[in-house]
Amino acid sequence: MNSTRLIALLAFATVILVLGLLSDSAASETDPSLPVAETPYVLGDPIEAYVEFMMSGGPPPDGIPAIDNPRFISADEAGLRPEAMVIGFAHGGEAKAYPQSILVHHEIVNDVVGGLNVGVTYCPLTATAQGFERGETTFGVSGQLLNSNLVLFDRETESYFSQINATGLTGEHRGHTLAEVNLIWTTWERWRAAHPDTRVLSDRTGHLRNYDRDPYGSYTPLRGYYVEDRTMFPVMHRSGSEHQKEMVVGARTADVSARFVLRALEEERIQMTENFLAVYDPTFHTGVIYERPDGVELDGLGVSPEGDYEFNGAVHAPRELPFEPLVSVDVFYFAWHAFYPDSEHPRVP
Amino acid sequence: MNPRHVLQTLADLWGRGSMRALVIGISALYLPLFLFALQDISLGGRAFEFLTTDWTRMFDRTGSFTFEPIARLTLPGLTILLSPINILIGGLISLLVGLNLAVTWIAIRQPRACRFNRSTGILASLPALLAGGACCAPAIALILGLQISSLMISVVQVLIPVSVILLLITLGLILARTNPELVE
Repeated sequence: MNSTRLIALLAFATVILVLGLLSDSAASETDPSLPVAETPYVLGDPIEAYVEFMMSGGPPPDGIPAIDNPRFISADEAGLRPEAMVIGFAHGGEAKAYPQSILVHHEIVNDVVGGLNVGVTYCPLTATAQGFERGETTFGVSGQLLNSNLVLFDRETESYFSQINATGLTGEHRGHTLAEVNLIWTTWERWRAAHPDTRVLSDRTGHLRNYDRDPYGSYTPLRGYYVEDRTMFPVMHRSGSEHQKEMVVGARTADVSARFVLRALEEERIQMTENFLAVYDPTFHTGVIYERPDGVELDGLGVSPEGDYEFNGAVHAPRELPFEPLVSVDVFYFAWHAFYPDSEHPRVP
Repeated sequence: MNPRHVLQTLADLWGRGSMRALVIGISALYLPLFLFALQDISLGGRAFEFLTTDWTRMFDRTGSFTFEPIARLTLPGLTILLSPINILIGGLISLLVGLNLAVTWIAIRQPRACRFNRSTGILASLPALLAGGACCAPAIALILGLQISSLMISVVQVLIPVSVILLLITLGLILARTNPELVE
């Protein structure tokens, strides 16, 4: 082999090596172990504005300890009062209930449900229960707040995420939207009736707290922070058109968002906006939001005598209408408005 | 302020049984209040139960100057979280509050022994109240429905060390002006 050929061969090998390294570094730019949504959610404000507005809630990162090794007990062993609030998640043939009385002290449970690694997150200040796929990493509570709402972080890249808009604020995942799963915010009585075989998060959490006491107030009976028409921390957008703690059900797509006042939805059963359709789910006393299908006439949609929904001659359960379902989040009105001030909402008749 | 005089006065006063009882009594009242403000002592609890966890967790922070409990005693209607570092910090603040209030009491009752007037003595006890507010400020804001600002969070986070420093300063100032020989 003459020197020219040797140099050419070395140059070729170098190019291959560099290309290989470049492709490796491109792949490591995003963390493959944390699933993110293919289509990001619409945002009400630029990410820079969120980061600037984010403030300390007091505790340091992990100062509010997430439950990393949850234990579960049977429905009978749980001893919960029927009206106690729980966060329910059913997936892959498994149903689990996470009592609000425990989550108010921990805000995050890193769990596996029906084979899916999921972070069950709850923010007491905004009344939001939201689930996110977590892949091989776990989530922690950052101690920061954005619009009074939980800011979580993934322990692998330490990127911060806003809970309500499920969006990365800092770090490697800035701008990414977490892959969200639909949790149910309901009473123990309703959840157990729908899922008699449910398992319940045990108060043997690995941490020592007073789970008989909610530092913010009470849901049974409703009192304290949860019912007062005021908030504790500053918000980016404020509106007085509803009681600040009115429960609304919200959803978002890549382009738009919508919110429906739960009480009005319960009364009317079906509500629509330009891009969304919401139906009331009496099983859990919550709303189910669908993306309004293009070119489909919805005049034939009605309530069946049994309380389900009729469409084109067929009867459907609230969660089984033949439209594109969205993750529907129960949330205090003030918090949804703080994140999505331009949300669509049904016109008051 | 002469540090030797301050320490000597403190030692003299501590040597008196009545003074010691007063300091210990005030501290013994203040510490549970401090732990209540921290929510380490709280209402609510069902049956008797005692649980412990890994003792090394006592160093895990739950706030700027608050730490994880390593044991929990549940009684009907009352729950006590045992956090050694919180008890240590609370014990130090309680002792300082006890000393401050005790010497303030001397200043009020026996102005002859202290070279300043009564109102100054009362002012000197203010850091004791500040120390009490160190932990329950967010709880007070919640009860009163006050909006918490980032400035307030920053202030609350340093309230414990600031109150310890203020308690030391006021204690030093009062002791420097106290003549132990004139204390009855």
